[in-house]
Parts: sequence; C-alpha cells; structure tokens
Amino acid sequence: MKRVILTAVATVFLLSGCISDVKPWEKETLAKATMKESGTNPLAKKYEEHIYFSKEASRGGSGVAGGGCGCN
Amino acid sequence: MKAAVASLLLITNLLAYNQGDTINDSMASHLGMKSDKLYVVDFFASWCSSCKKELPLVSKINKGLDTNSVEIIGIDVDKDVSKGMKFQEKLKSEGSLTFRVINDPQNLIISEFQPIGMPTLYYIKNRKVMKIITGAVDEIDRVILRDIKEME
Repeated sequence: MKRVILTAVATVFLLSGCISDVKPWEKETLAKATMKESGTNPLAKKYEEHIYFSKEASRGGSGVAGGGCGCN
Repeated sequence: MKAAVASLLLITNLLAYNQGDTINDSMASHLGMKSDKLYVVDFFASWCSSCKKELPLVSKINKGLDTNSVEIIGIDVDKDVSKGMKFQEKLKSEGSLTFRVINDPQNLIISEFQPIGMPTLYYIKNRKVMKIITGAVDEIDRVILRDIKEME
C-alpha cells in the first residue's frame, strides 16, 4: 500500500507543472533587467565587484576573462 | 524515476522539428508556405537582446533576395501582442524589419518547432527542415546568404 501511495505521489509530481522546464521562448521574465544580480543599475555590480576585489585582493577572481581565443 | 524523466525528455525532443524533419501540412499552410520555395523562418521576441541585433542584419539581406525563390518569415513569440507590435513598428520605422511577420502570442507555432534557444532560424524547403541556426551568430547576414546560395 505504501509503495502505491509513494508511486502515486511521485506520478503527480512528475506530471505537475512544478517540474516543467522553462522553454527558451518563455524566458521573458528572466530576460528582464530586474532579474540580473545587479538589478537595473549595471554600475551597482561594478561597485560591488570593486569592493570585493579590493578587500579580498582577488582582482579577476570572478567571472571568466577573454573568449578563449588566446589573444589577450 | 530517472528512466521516466529521461523518457519524458526524449519524447519532448522527438516532438520538436529537427534537421531533416518534415513539417506538417497544417503548419505549412499556417505559415503560408508553397513548395519549391526556400523559407527562412526567424523566431524572435521583443525581450530577446540577440534578436534585436540579428533582425536588422536579416532585414538588410531580405531587400536583396529574389522573393520568387526565397522568403524570410518572422515569428514574433511575444505573449503580449501589443508589446510585440510596438517592437515591430519601431523596427519598421528604422528599416530593420522588412519581411512578413506572424504573431504567435499563444506560442502555438514555436511549441511545435521547439527550438533550443532564441533567436532561431529554420531553413525550410518543400516542407523539409534543411538547417537550423540557434542563438547569436556573428555576421548572420553573411551566414544566411551563404546558406541560401547552397540550398537554392
């Protein structure tokens, strides 16, 4: 009986919308500026990064530099 | 459980149009496609920044195409039609939208094609998907012209 209930619950979760992936054409909300880490102000991110690398002595420690072309 | 999820993903992928697939009659007629003509179907949206960069380049080459043999069709997938139309009008006023656009607010068209990213271009001839280009591509105008030359 327990197994049946567990299977039923798993099936409901499997078929429910809560696990459906966001399709590329449904990313309007995710594409909004407010969804960025820095929000609508791109300077805020730069400011935070400046404080971070100044305090931690970790300039270049966040993100990936260059495009992999080996030219910089 | 893992097998079930994998099966679902596989089924979802099988429903999409991939290279070599043939699109169904109803979709072809909905898009206004005729046989023996090459169609470049461009999926875009007002919120997609790569689409904004790509559309002027696609429009630029559209002006020089022989419309008897090639046609570019835009599919605007904005769920808010007024937002999409405003975006299209802005592009038109700048001369950056020179081809036919079909609005797909309910995402019925794109749900059938199921591209893996935005923007996506589908080359379709005789209802067959010849090639798919997904995402931001440098000098997309040159790429499209080269592909059209190869496919014509």
